[in-house]
Amino acid sequence: MFKISNFQIYCMLIILVAPLAYLDTPKRISTCLFNNAWLAAFGAIIPGLLMAAMFLYIINKSTSPFPLLLEEHLGLVIGKILGFIYVFFFLLITIYSLRLFTDFILSNVLPGTPISVFIGVLLLVGFYAIKTGLENIARVSELFILIGLPFSFLITLLALGEHHNIESLLPFADMSYGSFGLGLAYASFALGKLMPILTLAFFSNNRKGLGLTVYQVVFTYALLIGLTTLATTLTLEGLPTSYSTFPTFSMVRALRFGQWVQNIDIIFIGIWILGVFATVTIAWFMACFTAQQVLKLRDYRFLAAPSTLIIGISSLVLSRNILEVQIMGDIIIPIIYSIFLILIPMVIFIITLFKPYPEDHNISKPVSTTV
Amino acid sequence: MRFINSKKSKPEDLKPSEIVQQVLSTNLQENLDKLKFLVQGCSDVVIKDFKFGHNPTVRGIIVYFDGLVDKSIIELNLLKPLMLEMDMSNQQIDFKERDIIATLQEKILSIAELKTLDNLQELCHHISSGDTVLLVDGYALGLVASTRSWQGRPIQTPENEVVIFGPKEGFCETLRFNTALLRRRIKSTNFKIESMVIGRITKTDVVLCYIDQLAPPELIKEVKARLEKIDIDGVLDTSYLIEFIADDRNTMFTQAMHTEKPDRVCGNLLEGRLCIMVDGSPMALILPISFPQYWTSSEDYSVHYVPASLFRILRFMAFWVALLLPSIYVAIITYHHEMIPTPLLLTIAATRQGVPFPAFIEALVMDVTFELLREAGLRLPRAVGPAVSIVGALIIGDAAVKAGLVSTPMVVIIAFTGIASFVSPSYNAAIIIRIARFGFLIIAGVLGFLGIMVGLVLMITRMASLSSFGLPYLSPLAPFNLKQITDVLVRRPWFNDQERPYLEGMQNQVRQGDNHEK
Repeated sequence: MFKISNFQIYCMLIILVAPLAYLDTPKRISTCLFNNAWLAAFGAIIPGLLMAAMFLYIINKSTSPFPLLLEEHLGLVIGKILGFIYVFFFLLITIYSLRLFTDFILSNVLPGTPISVFIGVLLLVGFYAIKTGLENIARVSELFILIGLPFSFLITLLALGEHHNIESLLPFADMSYGSFGLGLAYASFALGKLMPILTLAFFSNNRKGLGLTVYQVVFTYALLIGLTTLATTLTLEGLPTSYSTFPTFSMVRALRFGQWVQNIDIIFIGIWILGVFATVTIAWFMACFTAQQVLKLRDYRFLAAPSTLIIGISSLVLSRNILEVQIMGDIIIPIIYSIFLILIPMVIFIITLFKPYPEDHNISKPVSTTV
Repeated sequence: MRFINSKKSKPEDLKPSEIVQQVLSTNLQENLDKLKFLVQGCSDVVIKDFKFGHNPTVRGIIVYFDGLVDKSIIELNLLKPLMLEMDMSNQQIDFKERDIIATLQEKILSIAELKTLDNLQELCHHISSGDTVLLVDGYALGLVASTRSWQGRPIQTPENEVVIFGPKEGFCETLRFNTALLRRRIKSTNFKIESMVIGRITKTDVVLCYIDQLAPPELIKEVKARLEKIDIDGVLDTSYLIEFIADDRNTMFTQAMHTEKPDRVCGNLLEGRLCIMVDGSPMALILPISFPQYWTSSEDYSVHYVPASLFRILRFMAFWVALLLPSIYVAIITYHHEMIPTPLLLTIAATRQGVPFPAFIEALVMDVTFELLREAGLRLPRAVGPAVSIVGALIIGDAAVKAGLVSTPMVVIIAFTGIASFVSPSYNAAIIIRIARFGFLIIAGVLGFLGIMVGLVLMITRMASLSSFGLPYLSPLAPFNLKQITDVLVRRPWFNDQERPYLEGMQNQVRQGDNHEK
């Protein structure tokens, strides 16, 4: 069976959790915590580590990858039904990520272009990536992380270096436990997207080292989002950050250095496209792979074509404008994500607490070997 | 066959393809008739009928193609012993002996490479390859004498891979000279040169070279199997083969590296790779290969590692410039002019005033013109080619700017891109860039920077999906390998280059002992 390295898994997980959160999370935390938003962003390490530990525990107690482990722990009928629902959930992640990003491009970069053009172009490249298989998605993710992650940190550090208004980060005292809890939830619910590790772990060429990899993802995420939130708060102040639709974008646009380089937001968007493309592709892969496992199909790649239609049309009809997408992102999406990425895995985690560790020879492989 | 023999069919009653399948007869005249029938219309064939010196009743013939043989070898080492020396010597040779051919081989003929044949197909193949065949009346066996020698291009400096430091020899069109250039550098019996013939009509000699106990055995087996499967009428160049044996045939990203330099081939053989060479082609194919290797030059290993590394970084930068500069310029001018600082924006706007075309059309026309000039420079006679392309570029560029058809910055951008595209040490890689650049230009004209990134995503995804005989095409970038990447992006010092680059199934990874100590 084909194996992927833990570094590739690290890159795929970072790409799943970070790119959209980089754009979206600083704003959401700022709406409840204003100047103190950065505390919640860094604080996301704690729930992140707990979630990572939960996923790793489930992996260690399971003999099959997700979604087959649903059947293993919840019984055949419930497992099958849930697995089937998860197919739609992963499609929803794909559709929402695609729509959020294309709306952002439409409102900030090329306002005159029809949204269907952006969706079509991104679906085309995503479709090609799915057709070439997980091995290729893993390689592409590696490259995108090697390009994108240092660039994102560079942008953030440049913004931090340019704006020294430390008072923007004060005061601590104006913070209720409730709002901090909400901010922490906003900061950490993106880490629920670590859930595909339940599938990817079974393709790892070094499962013993997987724990370290997942924890590294949590630390990288917290550092990136924490620094970005710090930088946006320093650049825009707490209250304007909460009002801004995409504060990270505003921060990048405000960046000037060397008395010459200015308005580099389009380069940032360019690099960011890599991340969003990979986010969409990995979520899409999970949808196809889950469908293949649940329905016991020989291959998942042929599902790329029909799912392209579903994703394309659904992302077009998802909402009428960016405001509706924003409202969905504020209310509906966090609830759905929390249920599927955190609550259901938590139920499985509780069930596995009462189960013994499986023996090595019982650990099965995914149905398809054509990954 | 039996049917044909029993019928005693005349050669002219049969098709050449049927005759060529026949075995030699003991009747020399019959063999001669068949042979003459097969070579009719070949004005360069020479059939010398003679009688053996000591026994004039026994006839023999030698046959060869003029121009492919060394006549002095035939005269001194073949005809002279048979026609004169056999008579003068006291040896009693009984022509009724069953192993007369063996006697000739062992005692009479003083040619180092001699072997027997028993059918017309082999006979035709050997004479076409420059060997001389001897047939003796009464024997159904022929004797092949290696007399190959022809006029060809001597070993010269390769025109496409010019280096300042390091070996300057290049391959030529004669396969045996080329293998000798490799053998001279790798003096080991582990260096294997396996030969095969490909091409139904051309019967081209193809060799597969590798170092035993270094190259992965599975890889050798796989490449041999793929070569043996090729069924084509003719192979005239190594490039024919790669399209047959590549992992993915429908891509412009070539999955084997062409080179004319024996030192480069040897360097790669020492890293466990394989090399394919074809008679009549000065190009060797190295495989497996990854895309970043196209930006390494054999010269990197002949200069100190610090400048070599800097040159390599410069080449990688040139790759991006050659690929993306015109499209980035078009994207910025058309969609994202807020990125340009105001003074520069004003300068560009002033030069673009009066230009009737949008930046995209301007760039496309200029780029196509540049490619036309480059092609013209290559195809024109050498004496006038460079002059025409330089004068053409200067005059056309200057006239276009003066006529207000293009802006000065566009000329600068296209010229700079052209120079950057020449930096690639591999001509194949340069072709890929040239083609891809047009794609990026078009998509940048439509979607701006977003389009460029989408194009990059597509290109990277395509490249990452490829492999060259099992080696991921973008390795060691993807799959990422920190240890090996230090010998791709920069040139690792020799004393620190302990291990060979990783290849699946490689038998010996260690390249050298501990050379850290002075």
